[in-house]
Amino acid sequence: MLRIQNLTKVYPNGTQALKDVSFEVKDGEFLVVIGLSGSGKSTLLRCINRLIDPTEGKITWDDIDITAAPPAELRRIRRQIGMVFQQFNLVKRSSVMTNVMNGRLGYANPWLSLLGIWPPTDKQRAVKALERVGIADKASSRADALSGGQQQRVGIARALMQEPRLVLADEPVASLDPVLSHSILHYLEQLNKEGMTVICSLHFLDLVHRYATRVIALKDGIKVFEGLPAEIDRAKFKEIYGEEAQEVRATTVEASA
Amino acid sequence: MKESEPARRSPLLAGALSALLPGLGHVSLRQWYRGVAILLSFLVLTGIVAWYAEPLISWDSSIYPLLAFLAWFKFGGFWYLAPAGMWLWNIWDAASLAGCGRTRTILIPLLFGMMAAYGIGWQLVEVDFSAASLDRAMAIIRPMLYPDMVEERRELNRMWTYVSVPCSATETPPQARREEDGKVASATPDCAKLSEALTVSVSGMWPDTDTIVWWETAIGDDKPLGGNENAPLIVRTDATGSLTVVIHVPSTVMIAQPDPSLMLQHRVYFDQYRPLGGYQITSNGGFVLKGMMESVTMALMATTLSILLAIPISFLAARNLMGGNPFTLFIYVITRTILNFVRSIEALILAIVFVIIVGLGPFAGVMALAVHSVVALAKLYSEVIEGIDPGPIEAVKATGANWLQVARYGVIPQIVPPFTAFTIYRWDINVRMSIIIGMVGGGGIGQYLIQWIQINEMGAVGAAFIAIAVVVITLDYLSAKVRERLV
Amino acid sequence: MKKLSHLKRMVLSALVIAALVYLYSVSYRVTNMDFVRLVKDAYKAREFVSAFLHPDLFTRDTETVTITTTFPIPCDSAPISEPVESGPRLVTSVPCAGEKERFILEGFDMAPSTEIAVRWHFPDGRVFTILRTTTDADGHFSAEVEARAIAASAGGVASAIEVDTYIPISGLKPSQAMKDVTREIFVTIFMALFSTTIATIIAAPLSFLAASNITKRGPLGTSVYYITRSFFNIMRSYDPLVMATVFAFWLGYGPFAGTMALTVVTVASLGKLFSEAVESIDPGPIEALQASGANRMQVVRFAVIPQIVPDFVSFIVYHWDINVRISTIIGFVGGGGIGYYLSEKINSMVGYNQAATAIWAIVIVVWVLDFLSAEVRKKLT
Repeated sequence: MLRIQNLTKVYPNGTQALKDVSFEVKDGEFLVVIGLSGSGKSTLLRCINRLIDPTEGKITWDDIDITAAPPAELRRIRRQIGMVFQQFNLVKRSSVMTNVMNGRLGYANPWLSLLGIWPPTDKQRAVKALERVGIADKASSRADALSGGQQQRVGIARALMQEPRLVLADEPVASLDPVLSHSILHYLEQLNKEGMTVICSLHFLDLVHRYATRVIALKDGIKVFEGLPAEIDRAKFKEIYGEEAQEVRATTVEASA
Repeated sequence: MKESEPARRSPLLAGALSALLPGLGHVSLRQWYRGVAILLSFLVLTGIVAWYAEPLISWDSSIYPLLAFLAWFKFGGFWYLAPAGMWLWNIWDAASLAGCGRTRTILIPLLFGMMAAYGIGWQLVEVDFSAASLDRAMAIIRPMLYPDMVEERRELNRMWTYVSVPCSATETPPQARREEDGKVASATPDCAKLSEALTVSVSGMWPDTDTIVWWETAIGDDKPLGGNENAPLIVRTDATGSLTVVIHVPSTVMIAQPDPSLMLQHRVYFDQYRPLGGYQITSNGGFVLKGMMESVTMALMATTLSILLAIPISFLAARNLMGGNPFTLFIYVITRTILNFVRSIEALILAIVFVIIVGLGPFAGVMALAVHSVVALAKLYSEVIEGIDPGPIEAVKATGANWLQVARYGVIPQIVPPFTAFTIYRWDINVRMSIIIGMVGGGGIGQYLIQWIQINEMGAVGAAFIAIAVVVITLDYLSAKVRERLV
Repeated sequence: MKKLSHLKRMVLSALVIAALVYLYSVSYRVTNMDFVRLVKDAYKAREFVSAFLHPDLFTRDTETVTITTTFPIPCDSAPISEPVESGPRLVTSVPCAGEKERFILEGFDMAPSTEIAVRWHFPDGRVFTILRTTTDADGHFSAEVEARAIAASAGGVASAIEVDTYIPISGLKPSQAMKDVTREIFVTIFMALFSTTIATIIAAPLSFLAASNITKRGPLGTSVYYITRSFFNIMRSYDPLVMATVFAFWLGYGPFAGTMALTVVTVASLGKLFSEAVESIDPGPIEALQASGANRMQVVRFAVIPQIVPDFVSFIVYHWDINVRISTIIGFVGGGGIGYYLSEKINSMVGYNQAATAIWAIVIVVWVLDFLSAEVRKKLT
């Protein structure tokens, strides 16, 4: 159970990214966060694993206070939280295998890992993770030799290496075309069905309807909606996205993977 | 995985082949690239070591072969360990490749190569940190921190008197007393031996002012009187403008005097300075400015000359213009070869040749810079010409323009901005080069700089360093700005 | 209104032209341009250029064989020599001659196509070289010789004409110049290697201080950033040769001074390039690794270093290439290496052939390294 209470974030330049946001995420949920660009979705996700330190508020996860964790404790928490990024955030000049192994750094011996020495079990785990996302044959390619969809799969494999209980996905499909979007979200859905909690920010409403078990919406840093995906009708949509907005359908093609 | 793969070749055979000739085992396993690379690096490494190590001369003539071997090993033979290590690795690698299809890390031969390169290089470069005396460095740097560039404008108030050194047995010394403009300077006694004490006094000077007392020998050498004969003696005058001080005749004032008993007239000076307000450029500062101007104008003239010559040459060196028939292609190849050849001769070497022809001075420097710039610019220009986009030319032609109009509106707009950018870039480089070209007699600030260093005028060197940094950084900045606009 | 701006432009361009004319006239005077002299004295470079085309590369061991004939001046001052009929021999057109008369000296059956030196051997033992030439394919030569007064007989003994034949007894082998140049070239390459290595070790950590994305935080960080930046920019503005003058004054002439001077300048320019590479790294992977619970060292090792190493290596190779070029000339100001050898040979005025060997060696090394460094950098990007 992840509990977020009165979360507020003000950046040093004065931008108020989050205003008093509170909600709860039960284990096994697929929570989707929606909202316009700049509405605070990324800040919210990054506050959960404290890549960004919130200004006020409290985040507790199974009675552990994330917001108060000292650095060593924080790293132990972070290694149980996988994260997938919009821009994939791979080390482009390193091989796919190295990028996947990077997900295991939080568990590895800090000194041996600096020399690039990994336990054999970790290597097997990496091969399995790559097989799971269907790109085991690319293990020795450089990351920048892969297409966008493949790079995001590497990103998911890297998150899988952490054996996470919670996956944060920050616009995981915003840089991909609709077909690939379904394929990536399909992997996240599978992980969710295996028991991982997924918190994912998304742009396209049809994807929200298809994958989310629950939705919250942010507007200018304020939570303006919390409920089931089916509850978002045209009126709600206009409220969240503004009067000008038009709903765009990503695609109706089902994921093949 | 490797266990399941059967050994395709005998590791023994591959190892033996590689032992015979490094890389041969790899070649036999169809690893062409690796084999040739191993052979080449082995040959280079062995070559360097063999060239560096002393030959084993006394091997069979010595009665103690072991001692001879140890001596040889110490004086360079040691480095044979590097190719030996690489040879062993190469056998291991070939055997491993044949046996289980896996190559071994190239880190090992790399380590051997680096060991030899850095070990031998260390000795060739004559690294000697004991020469890096910090005291000497400070003695060089400290005066550089007080650049001899500008000074306070000030007025000098000077008075002096004769003193005879040494006392003569036969002659009476002239009285050590002088009057001038109401100032009186005197010394008692009138004559003295080396290192003997003298009481000197002066009156009628500016009151309450620091006064430098110093000694001028009979042949005009300056000697300080303070400290251990190595620092200026500074005494303050009283409210009436007088001072009296005991000095010792410096022990070195009779150097270069053939007859030590001959009484000669030395002088004791009293100098006072008073600021006049404002600053002025020192004489060395003037030379810095003159040299800097010379350097910059050298670069300007060289660049201008080189543009005039480089443009026609660049057309000869452009493949798209000259590739048409075998004759022009021949000219193109010749031009390119000459350009490439001259480009690899540094302007400094060219400067020496021009100094032989036209003598020392900026003209030699200009010519050297010009020749070097011609080849460098011609190459860049020709690349611009080769990169001309045929599209606009076609478009201008399509409007019915004649040949001249095509050149004016289709070609020139394409080549002028990059030409200008390259030229400015070249001028920038030429300014840097003109600074160093003076060091071999090409005029400009380098010429002064190297002279000042030779006579230990580090204050002036400091001034030159500041001038160089200011000019180079400014021009760097300006040329970057201009090129940014053009490209 | 339009006319006014037109006028303004005309005045402006007139001013620019006037300024340029002034600038060029000053430059012309300051630089003592004298093309007449350049053309007139071009012959002075002939010796140098011809030496340049004949670098001193190989030499042979030779054995000197001397044949001789006496030649009385004037005729009755001493007995004339018996003519020799076979074997290597010298034949004069007249057996003796008066002062200032000219005669033909011929040699027969000598070693073919061999260098020879012809000289007088005076009665008092002194020698005077007349000429140096080469025999033809039949082992024959001929030369016109003047019977000089200085070669007159003394005390009934006639002067002799001697001819030295330098017969090669070994194959071609590298000359001393070639050996020296090889050594100095190695020294030069190692100077570049050392300075680049030391500079890399110093510049790599320093460059992080000059990278705005790493250092420019808080007043302390910002001032460290600007101090490092200015240090790089100022040091970069000095040519290594300028630095070398000071270092040679400090450390004494030799490759060590040159290496240290090169190192200082290379630290500055590598530092600047490195810091730009650090500034351009993608922050994404750093964020991703932090999110997975990696510690600071692990983030540097797995997210920062893989991003910058290829750029760093490319810059290092590029600078090594530049440093080899500079170390070929740094010897001119006391920095050691091939430049010192070259300047010594040129200044001695008789070592032009040896200087040519050095220049050819420089050209070859610069070409080879240019090629290699371009290949390596192509592979890296």
